[in-house]
Amino acid sequence: MARLLDLAISAVLLAGLYATMAYGLGLVYGVLRVVNLAHGGVIMAGAYLGWVLHGRLRLDPYLSIPLVLVATYAFGALLYRGLVRHLPRGAAGGPASLLLLFGVWLVLRNAAYLLFTGDDQAIRTSYSTHAVPFLGTWVSVNRLAVLGIALVIPVALHLLLHRTYLGKAIRAAAQNAESCTLVGVDVERVYTVTFGLGTALAGLAGVLSATLFAFNPASGAGELLKSFVVVVLGGLGSVVGTAVAALILATVEVFAILVLPSYLTAAVGFVMLVIVLVVRPGGLFGQRVLG
Amino acid sequence: MPARSLHRWSTVTVLFLAALGAAVACRSREQAERKEIRIGATLPLTGAESRIGGFYKEGYDLAFEEANRQGGLQVGGKRLPVRLVLLDDTSSQATAVSLADRLVNGDKVDLLLGTYASHLVEAQSTVAEQNKVPYVNGGGGATDIYRRGYRYLFGLLAPVELLGTTLMGFVDAQQQAGKLPRPARVALVWENTAHGKDFRRGVREFVAGSKGGYEIVVDESFELSGKDFGALLEKVKAARADLFLADAHLPDFITMHRQYVSAGLCHPVVSYGARGAEKAAADALGRENVTGILSAVWWNAQLARKGGPTRAFVDAYEARSGGREPEWYQALGYETARALFAAIQQAGKVDREAVRSALAALKLDSILPGGQLSFPAGQGQQAHYPFVVQQNLADGTSPIVYPEDSATGRAVVPNPRCAR
Repeated sequence: MARLLDLAISAVLLAGLYATMAYGLGLVYGVLRVVNLAHGGVIMAGAYLGWVLHGRLRLDPYLSIPLVLVATYAFGALLYRGLVRHLPRGAAGGPASLLLLFGVWLVLRNAAYLLFTGDDQAIRTSYSTHAVPFLGTWVSVNRLAVLGIALVIPVALHLLLHRTYLGKAIRAAAQNAESCTLVGVDVERVYTVTFGLGTALAGLAGVLSATLFAFNPASGAGELLKSFVVVVLGGLGSVVGTAVAALILATVEVFAILVLPSYLTAAVGFVMLVIVLVVRPGGLFGQRVLG
Repeated sequence: MPARSLHRWSTVTVLFLAALGAAVACRSREQAERKEIRIGATLPLTGAESRIGGFYKEGYDLAFEEANRQGGLQVGGKRLPVRLVLLDDTSSQATAVSLADRLVNGDKVDLLLGTYASHLVEAQSTVAEQNKVPYVNGGGGATDIYRRGYRYLFGLLAPVELLGTTLMGFVDAQQQAGKLPRPARVALVWENTAHGKDFRRGVREFVAGSKGGYEIVVDESFELSGKDFGALLEKVKAARADLFLADAHLPDFITMHRQYVSAGLCHPVVSYGARGAEKAAADALGRENVTGILSAVWWNAQLARKGGPTRAFVDAYEARSGGREPEWYQALGYETARALFAAIQQAGKVDREAVRSALAALKLDSILPGGQLSFPAGQGQQAHYPFVVQQNLADGTSPIVYPEDSATGRAVVPNPRCAR
């Protein structure tokens, strides 16, 4: 029983990480219908940004979050204005955006190799290995912090989308961009802000990951893959769905160790993805836009 | 036989012998006129393995400088300088293969030195084999590379299996000294790669031959670059093991050990294979958290205390690099080039077949643990020698604690961190 409880706690903590990594990808797809393949590259860049701020300015990684958010938001907004908005809209733009954003990811990765070499890096703080007792087990404070942030993000996004004019404009643009233009919403500005927000969330996931894992310029691919599974599982464009899907994926992966060898547990998520795509192509929570 | 036919056969024979004589003369003249020996190599100087590729280059450069400072290699009664034609394979298999082909068929190098990382060596050595060029490498440790029956492939990295065996040898000595229970319960956790599988095989073979001295209670692998080892560590915790033996690359070691410490785990013996003694580990995890960790590596600069060629190498390296101590990467690079040079001199000529035979029969006084280097045919021409086991101590040092004849310090078992 105690072991099952330990596993359940592990699953919830892991879900926090998965959700944090996936929010940005889901938001951008939900509004722009663009699969942001540069998402993994921005997670890697966010990790390096946090590492540089910690190493050079002695800034705690959690205190560096606002700076990382601003920097990656600006990068995302520029990326949209400079490149993504010139792509054709609709189905025709799909392959073009995939190729373009994959190219951006490669540029980010190689820039990181040039700037930081291929060495593995990690952020170590005085509390990196600290843990607090919880229900008879020990829980890492860093993982708790990530879980907390993972819970705050959907609430913040909900407030933004439902309580502000910008949020309403984003939801409207996600539902029908042409009609938005007719009623005076600056759709391009909404898209720029949304792409910037999605990129900033990827940067946030990067700096949080850096408090838990070692990273190098090749990092980001695994994170993108997991984010993709979570977003598709939850239903493309659903923020709440993303959070719940992260919990389902993490629970299945963690508890799979009771019946499967450890190296196969990661594959369980992909099997789930295939099943969901076949049985319920809209994801577990349907095609709700920014619900 | 008619006289006309006899005459024709005589003519053919004379022409054949003349052509053969001309070829031999040309070859001899080529050898006589040879101005240098050209050795080709690629290393991952950019990309994912660039840091280690740079270390291997330092080892190669030092070996070539030393050889040329003595006037070159003694070949056919005279000294010939050696020149390294080094290209960057960008840590990519495809590039490593195409550059090896270019070195052999375009640049016409005489012999090849290998690149770093098992997957690159595995791919590149095929080019050498196809072209019948001796290929000596210090960067491919996976035993599968040497099980393909290649004749021209020679490896200096001892198999990772021996890493597991040497670690268990150390553990066994502690058990016999009464510092560990008998039977001891082993939690064996390994990355799902050729490296991890070799490590597992080494530990399991030792356990199988221990006559009940050990019991493996966890035997689990994990995928590279894992994001969460919580469930795996729960399994280890539940198994109440005495030994926690893992095999992991640096990023997984950091992630796993952070979770290990956070979960309040501590075992009398803790090892992550080759990881633990490097500065990056203490930087990422904190010295207090890596204290007690055992690691086994192919070489360590502390071996220089015994003098001999190891002392000479360490002194030369430090003089060249402004006092920086070499790691095993530079040592393996240096020794790889030195082994090829020794074989060329023993062959007495820059002939690929002759050098291959000399490599196969080589017995070289070496800087590697054990003191002698050879490429046993029964092991696929992969060198075999014991690893050196180090332990991180509370004062920040990591002395060699095993084998006894190489030890520079005494091991602390059980793990002192568990007493805190």
